[in-house]
Amino acid sequence: MRTATKQPVSGGIGGWVGHMVDAAAEIPGNYRDLLAGKRGRTVLLTILGILVLTYPIIYNQFLAGFSRNVFPLPFPDETTMTFMLIFGIMAIGLNIVVGFAGLLDLGYVAFYALGAYTSAFFASPHFGSVSIVLFSNVASGFPGIHLPFWIILPLAVLVAATFGALLGAPTLRLRGDYLAIVTLGFGEIVPVFFKNLAAITFTFTIGGVTIISLQDVNLTGGPLGINPIDPFVLLGVGFGATSGVAAVYFAMALTIIGIVVARNLERSRMGRAWGAIREDETAAEMMGVNTVRTKLLAFALGASFAGVAGAFQASYLGATTSDFFQFSTSILVLIMVILGGIGNIWGVLAGAIVLVYIDKTLLIWLGQRIGSVAPSFPNPSQFNFLIFGILLVMMMRFRPEGFIPSRQRAAELSIHGLQEAEAAMGVDVETDNVGVAPPGQSEIGPDAREAEAPSEADDL
Amino acid sequence: MRMRPAMRGILALALFQVFGVIVFGAEQFFQTEVIGVSNGLIFALVALGYTLVYGIIELINFAHGDVFMLGSMLAFLLIGPIFAVTVDTPIVLKIGIVLLVLGVTMLGTAALNVSIERVAYKPLRNAPKLAPLISAIGMSFVLQNVGLLMAGPGNRSIDNIFGTSNILSAFGIEGVTINIQQVFVALVTIPLLIVLSWFVRTTRQGKAMRATAQDPDTAGLMGVDVNRTIAITFLIAGALAGAAGVVQILYNNTTVWNVGFRFGLNSFTAAVLGGIGNLQGAVLGALVLGFINAFSDRFFSANWTNALVFGILIAILVFRPTGLLGQQLADRA
Repeated sequence: MRTATKQPVSGGIGGWVGHMVDAAAEIPGNYRDLLAGKRGRTVLLTILGILVLTYPIIYNQFLAGFSRNVFPLPFPDETTMTFMLIFGIMAIGLNIVVGFAGLLDLGYVAFYALGAYTSAFFASPHFGSVSIVLFSNVASGFPGIHLPFWIILPLAVLVAATFGALLGAPTLRLRGDYLAIVTLGFGEIVPVFFKNLAAITFTFTIGGVTIISLQDVNLTGGPLGINPIDPFVLLGVGFGATSGVAAVYFAMALTIIGIVVARNLERSRMGRAWGAIREDETAAEMMGVNTVRTKLLAFALGASFAGVAGAFQASYLGATTSDFFQFSTSILVLIMVILGGIGNIWGVLAGAIVLVYIDKTLLIWLGQRIGSVAPSFPNPSQFNFLIFGILLVMMMRFRPEGFIPSRQRAAELSIHGLQEAEAAMGVDVETDNVGVAPPGQSEIGPDAREAEAPSEADDL
Repeated sequence: MRMRPAMRGILALALFQVFGVIVFGAEQFFQTEVIGVSNGLIFALVALGYTLVYGIIELINFAHGDVFMLGSMLAFLLIGPIFAVTVDTPIVLKIGIVLLVLGVTMLGTAALNVSIERVAYKPLRNAPKLAPLISAIGMSFVLQNVGLLMAGPGNRSIDNIFGTSNILSAFGIEGVTINIQQVFVALVTIPLLIVLSWFVRTTRQGKAMRATAQDPDTAGLMGVDVNRTIAITFLIAGALAGAAGVVQILYNNTTVWNVGFRFGLNSFTAAVLGGIGNLQGAVLGALVLGFINAFSDRFFSANWTNALVFGILIAILVFRPTGLLGQQLADRA
């Protein structure tokens, strides 16, 4: 037994915990250094990349069997993995709107729904009175419209982007919280339409002339939704819920495309314009940024990601109903963005992976474990949004910039981050801040600068 | 010719009556109006909470609808399982219990609202404007889940303790029904609205609230305790939401853990319609929304009512963000 005075981290569990806490406290500095070094970064990313790419196979070959036969551990299974990536795509898309352009969108689920119903309309027997089969393994003459995914996905992008721009157009003048409420309203209205457009009966006549007459038109399948929906098929391999690992890799490919697109957008002229209107819309307009075009494109491009995610989700599950698309889903994606680090593509992707893991695997596993010991205890998976709600409140209070923040957003969202960013900018010339002055770099003194910081980032 | 706003309002109301009677038939129309007024008065209590809080710290208190929900849950627990009030309970006892429940619930939700402010909003007073909004959304989910834990996922119902007699039949009118619930709604809400109006207009604390709403920094310099004033605003908003919860459960006889979302949406729309931050506006907006709900449910389709309300909300925010009576805060939004 050593004395505590000589070595504060002594043996035993307490000491070990203390040591881990100390180590954890040091992580931020260390990993920054490690990531800053080019070699360290390459090595880390390579290991991480290999791990991510091989995990589905490792799970399928070893971990699933271990969980089933030896001891149930909460490894994410194929469905969870696929949903991690579906939500990852959505988080990357919402990050364009909220993170890059700084427009709080609380109705993102609408575009998810639009994507899903695009799949449902164009790859299912729903419109059974016609038969259109295009490049599909569906037998010719089979009722309904059956298009392949490489037509569905662009279509979903088009539909979602169009509606994104439609939502964007009337909200251009709005800022801050009013914009948030309008987007929330849009997100609520779209599923209501999908739910109710099942038996449209509508007649409009003028002077005996029928202008329009609809009798019992079933457009969306009503509360029951549309079912079944064809899975995406490539080279004879289907990517439905039963195809396991294949669907995960398909989702992974979509996610990688999404990352590349978002990354390029961020570094483009448009990306810099988004940064500019996010930080000060009036100033950006003065500097020649076309705010109308910039905002509309942010909405449209952000929405198109959810369109892709929705189209894939519907074909993956093979069914869709309006109940999938609730306000809570919009908020779930928003939490992913906030938790991971607003503005940072890798951060929001990590946020999506962690939250879907908690939601779809960890809580269910915990529920089973607890249920086997104390069956009357409430199942934690029923209270997932209690946890997410607490997470949201805590994040806003203690770490609004998220766990893996973009340096720029960190600066806007907290005074602490501002100092950090300024320190970093003093030594690091290679920043992403091309053309965008960090907030607070005005000619007022350093003390006034700190006080000024929050109000400068008024619109998040 | 320019008319005073009040005159314009009365004229619009009169035209609406004539139009309604012609289109829907007198009995149907007046019955729907009765329901509309009852709905509207409940919305008004909740809408005032939104408008008070927005007026003072420019926060859309997303969790407010769920405070109302917890109020109705608490009232359900007290009236249903705990006191087991039924329609046969002696009238004096019934009135006593209802008053007690009203007091307890208002105290409870007021305390809850103040604690929410302390935990979730106060630390973010100087953060970017959207941080407290996001925090409020998180809080809303927390409260919904508390309701879910308290009462489970299904509808929770109590007996209709007022019976089903029609007040109007005493006056020989049979086609239109005004029942005791509806009278009760008016008996609770209207005095509360009057007391609130008196409080804000004449008391020292009300003056401090108005000063803080205009400019918190200057109000602070003039000796107003801004933090205390904000806490009192949340206290009043919470108490009103609690009262609305009691009235709601006694009027509809049923509540559910996510009822706060729909009520919150309608009430917030009402507050925006009236001009957010404006107390009379909130009441006016709430009555209009109550009418819209009643008419949409009755003559259109209840399935579309939410979409309609959201459509109205979007239209107001986009085309007339100051609302009907919102001249007072032209520089906001």
